Amino acid sequence: MLNAIARLGHTGMATLASLGRAHLLLGAMLIGLPALTLRPRLLMQQVYFIGVLSTLIVVVSGLFVGMVLGLQGYYVLSQFRAAESLGVMVAASLVRELGPVVTALLVAGRAGSALTAEIGLMKATEQLSGLEMMAVDPVRRVLSPRFLGGFIAMPLLAAMFSAVGVLGGWFVGVGLLGVDDGAYWTQMQAKLDFGEDIVNGVIKSLVFGFVVTWIALYEGYDATPTSAGVSRATTRTVVHSALAVLGLDFILTALMFGD
Amino acid sequence: MRIRGLRFARGERVVFDGVDLDIPRGLVTAIMGPSGTGKTTLLKLISGQLRPDAGTVEVDGQDVHRLGQQALYRLRTRMGMLFQSGALLTDLDVFENVAFPLREHARLPPSLLRKLVLMKLEAVGLRGAARLLPSELSGGMARRVALARAMALDPMMIMYDEPFTGQDPISMGVLVTLIRALNDASGLTSIVVSHDVRETAGIADRIYLIANGSVVASGTSATVDAHPSPWVQQFMHGLPDGPVHFHYPAVPLERELFPSPRRAWWRRVRAA
Amino acid sequence: MARSHLVEVLVGVFMALGFVALFFLAMRVSNLSAAAGGEGYLLSARFDNVGSLKVRSPVSIAGVRIGRVESIRFDQETYQAVVGMRIDPQFDRLPTDTFANIYTAGLLGEQYIGLDPGGDVDYLGDGDQVEFTQSALVLEKMISQLLFSMAEGGGDR
Repeated sequence: MLNAIARLGHTGMATLASLGRAHLLLGAMLIGLPALTLRPRLLMQQVYFIGVLSTLIVVVSGLFVGMVLGLQGYYVLSQFRAAESLGVMVAASLVRELGPVVTALLVAGRAGSALTAEIGLMKATEQLSGLEMMAVDPVRRVLSPRFLGGFIAMPLLAAMFSAVGVLGGWFVGVGLLGVDDGAYWTQMQAKLDFGEDIVNGVIKSLVFGFVVTWIALYEGYDATPTSAGVSRATTRTVVHSALAVLGLDFILTALMFGD
Repeated sequence: MRIRGLRFARGERVVFDGVDLDIPRGLVTAIMGPSGTGKTTLLKLISGQLRPDAGTVEVDGQDVHRLGQQALYRLRTRMGMLFQSGALLTDLDVFENVAFPLREHARLPPSLLRKLVLMKLEAVGLRGAARLLPSELSGGMARRVALARAMALDPMMIMYDEPFTGQDPISMGVLVTLIRALNDASGLTSIVVSHDVRETAGIADRIYLIANGSVVASGTSATVDAHPSPWVQQFMHGLPDGPVHFHYPAVPLERELFPSPRRAWWRRVRAA
Repeated sequence: MARSHLVEVLVGVFMALGFVALFFLAMRVSNLSAAAGGEGYLLSARFDNVGSLKVRSPVSIAGVRIGRVESIRFDQETYQAVVGMRIDPQFDRLPTDTFANIYTAGLLGEQYIGLDPGGDVDYLGDGDQVEFTQSALVLEKMISQLLFSMAEGGGDR
């Protein structure tokens, strides 16, 4: 009994210490950001790594999610004689929720895990210590560009996801199921607000980009420098990112659309 | 370089307990000891990557652990370090790896940078491998590239972390000669951390033997070799049995293999 | 060098695609193209009951959207709801005796304001008030009226 309580306490302390280290790292990474203006190429490589290489999976997923929404939405809405609202339903679910959330989950799986593995291996092979010995701050040189790259890439990827999804829903609804083309777009435009829906969606994906890259980099930087440690850290990145994204999504949704 | 009263503990385990070392300028100093005595930790303490619990490390008159971040980084540009694995950046080729510290710390025109890098590579005999990636190098070549990189900023001191481990005799010979030659040619201070007794003793001007957290023996290789302590004798000559026993401490074998029921019962009572 | 150039080009394409997608969402999916925020002129109207009318509900005439509801507030003096409407600037010839109704789109649809133009020669300008209004039909009231009249009818027979 006492042992169980002690174990709980130990876990709590360890979690707290880990959170503290994560925030210290975040601070160090943020301090490193201004120097990036002098080295745009470093940032460019990371936008390429996180953004460009994730484009394909994000666009394809967006297309299919949009098409499924079109199909399912049509069957539900047509029962209420409201198939004209299909565009609203597809676009609202994509822009507000699925775009930012699914993109963040995909990026966490595709780029986040790769970031963790890369940083973890750099640590395991002493490359980070090597940089430090060459009087180069590894946080500034290696972590900061990756952090900003993820932050920049995420909203763009989410926008692509939503845009392609709306087109996918249009293809199924208008092209295959016979919803009126004009109704699809005008209803959508009438009901979706730029400030309320689009901007909030972008804010969500910015927050997710921040959190997912932060988790990925921290797990890599904090990984035990062995192959088992790196693989565990990679798993943790995906799990923690997914939980963080879904939890934050609930909070953000409640704040944004709650009234 | 002077180390005084160095104390460092990792959790419960005390790694160093009052270590004093003097490393004279321009010589090759070897620090030897069995695996797990924290030789790599010592290098990390010297370079300021770790903080000691007590004691001071002075490099060139500066207390490493009292320096601010910037001053520490300035000092590190004058220290080179050769890691066990080489620690080359895997996404850059050999040329870019050697050019890396120059690009980071010195604003040089591209033509001069090229010449400098090629000269450093020539010194380690790998100019022809300039466009290879680290994954295409053998372990010995990777260490030579890392050596060229450590030399890139013309440091006053280079630390070698286990430079001979896992090398075939030829590349070991190459490294031994290189370390000695670079030291004499550029007036460097070299610190070699190793447990390869023969190779290290061959090039070292001074030897420190560390075990169980403190210095056991020191002096030239001849004096250490002739040290009276049986432990030093066992270590220097690689004897299988001596003060360090072949067997890890354990209960007598027959007792572990055939525990009597009564003893087992007593043990359970005591555990409860 | 060629490789890093390729990276730059791809990153450029990526950024461009991202911004195109954002632009698409803004212009085609949402109402940014129609919003023309802050332009147009303001009308107000008093209703006894606005039902479920909301800010940003459409204001239309003959079924064509000409503006949006900008504000809804409650006037404590008269116990009425005061609705502010922003009308797009090109629709500047609404007669002063225009009638404002709150309609429902479909049986369960959203509520909107429908304007019925009158015959006056003067036009409404910025800040004017629409005098003639018809409140929202509240379903419960309608049903109770219906039941009431049915009961009356039954008594006659």
